[in-house]
Amino acid sequence: MSVEASPMAIPISADRTRRGSLPLRLPKVSRSVLLSTLTVAVLLAGWAIVTERGWANELFLPKPQAVWAAFVKTMTRGYQGATLFQHLGASLCRILTAFTLACLIGIPLGVIMGVSRNARALLNPLIEFYRPLPPLGLYTLLVMWLGIGESSKLSLLFLAGLPGIVISTIQAVTSVDPVYVRAAQSLGATRRHLLFHVYLPAAGPLILAGMRISLGFTYTVLVAAEIVAASAGIGWMIWDAAKFLLSDIVIMGLIVLGLTGVALDLIMRGIAKLLMPWA
Amino acid sequence: MIKRLIATLAVATLALTAAVRAEDKPAKVTVGYLNLVNAQLVTKHLGLLAKEMPGVDIKYVKIGGGGDMLRAIAGNDVDFGDLGNPPTAIGATRALPIKGILVINMLDYVESMVVRTDKNITSLKDLKGKTVAAPFGSTTHYLLLQALKDEGVDPASMKILDLAPSDIAAAWLRGDIDAAWFWEPNLGKAVKNGGKILVTSGDMAKRGYPTWDIGVVMNAFAEKYPSYVDKFIRAECEGIEFWLKNPEKTAEIIAEELSLAIEDAQRMMEGTGMVPCNRQLTEEYLGTSAKKGKFVDTLVSTADFLVKQERLPKLLPRADFEAFIQPAYLEKVIGR
Repeated sequence: MSVEASPMAIPISADRTRRGSLPLRLPKVSRSVLLSTLTVAVLLAGWAIVTERGWANELFLPKPQAVWAAFVKTMTRGYQGATLFQHLGASLCRILTAFTLACLIGIPLGVIMGVSRNARALLNPLIEFYRPLPPLGLYTLLVMWLGIGESSKLSLLFLAGLPGIVISTIQAVTSVDPVYVRAAQSLGATRRHLLFHVYLPAAGPLILAGMRISLGFTYTVLVAAEIVAASAGIGWMIWDAAKFLLSDIVIMGLIVLGLTGVALDLIMRGIAKLLMPWA
Repeated sequence: MIKRLIATLAVATLALTAAVRAEDKPAKVTVGYLNLVNAQLVTKHLGLLAKEMPGVDIKYVKIGGGGDMLRAIAGNDVDFGDLGNPPTAIGATRALPIKGILVINMLDYVESMVVRTDKNITSLKDLKGKTVAAPFGSTTHYLLLQALKDEGVDPASMKILDLAPSDIAAAWLRGDIDAAWFWEPNLGKAVKNGGKILVTSGDMAKRGYPTWDIGVVMNAFAEKYPSYVDKFIRAECEGIEFWLKNPEKTAEIIAEELSLAIEDAQRMMEGTGMVPCNRQLTEEYLGTSAKKGKFVDTLVSTADFLVKQERLPKLLPRADFEAFIQPAYLEKVIGR
């Protein structure tokens, strides 16, 4: 809107291109990989020492070998009628369905709210109100409304993922440099052109960052979603094993859950690079 | 101001020294109790424990089911608790630091399997393809699987869901489930809303699968304050006596504690077996320190079943379950 906006835009974009093409990055990455490996190794060694020395009650902290044995057993013979892959599959299916729905609804909603001030004013109270609600509080109501089947689980995961996407999309769209918009408009761009050729490409990287955060949120409520009346899923497996004090299964499930989360995030980053090489 | 401070300090010191002098006095006793219909509610309502333990801060914590009670015990959140036989078998196998000291109740039709009347379920075989709920790890989950096994019905032929009793009631009202094996006070809600009883836990006891709840104490507490274990037992025994001698007043208490109608409370009471403390030391129940009773048999067979269900890693020798049952405290209270 103001004239000062245009000179501001130049150093930012120049800086971005410069940072993108830094050639001297490889040694730094391998060093950080080394350090990360060190952290994991120290943790594992600490775990092994504490349990070998008998400093920890095995009921609460089983030995690494016991957790590994639980992993092998669950992979091959399964836990309560489903193998680890089937449990993981059931959970991933829930997460990805809910997350896809959250993206399909959240991104358009965020774009609309970002572009139109009226839409933002209309919808903001809703989003702002339910965003800080703890998921478990919501869940009791969802179970009453939707029953104990898949729909309540999916809704909980969906609601956990939605606000992150909406809010980051709004931010992404509102931070699009108005110079781009005006330049396109002066060349005769329609609203449609503006959306697909200016707003979305420019806001894309921030939207994707929001999607990554939102996938993380969805993931964190997984165990909660699977507590009520599930019979498969990693979250359910952890919950069920805890009832029978099978701490080796609980810890194994948590490790699998953590690693899967990391893998999902890596995949998201890969997709981001593929879709938006300019980011 | 300073005067008052000194006075407070003096009182505090006095209180402290008093606490030190009366060596075996815990500052606080936490009793975890299950949401069931039994004489523990009477003991709680009449404040019998407080009478036995003057000056001790007594805290009652209501715990939803056996699985949660195990977690509470593992986390050292309670001093006394009670457990059904399957969670007891789990706890004993996983070497939780607890001992069984008292029969809380025997389970008859206070725990039952309710089925939807309009679904034409007349035997366990009709459950094929249906949705059945039970709180996993509890007495009723154990009986459900045991009953299916005895009738030769494959549990995989139906959908068995893990729900807490209150969630079962809600899911039942919504029509999400066709059958459920669980307990009062929620069981009655399902029966009143289009349900009928198919099998009771009492039926299963007659078939050789008794279920019960046993009062447990944390080992550390019992070592530190042995006389308070006696006091606990004395209070609970008094509650049981009251239950057996004053059924009408008990029904009023139960109705008030659980917000029920009197006639519901009476029905639930009849479905619960309360065992007078002097009979608990017979062969049928705990037995004596010299010769442990049938509770050990039940624990062994329950543990064996759970091992076959892959819920427990291994079956412990009988001696370990015998060591878990400790009638010594009750023997002292009864005066034997």
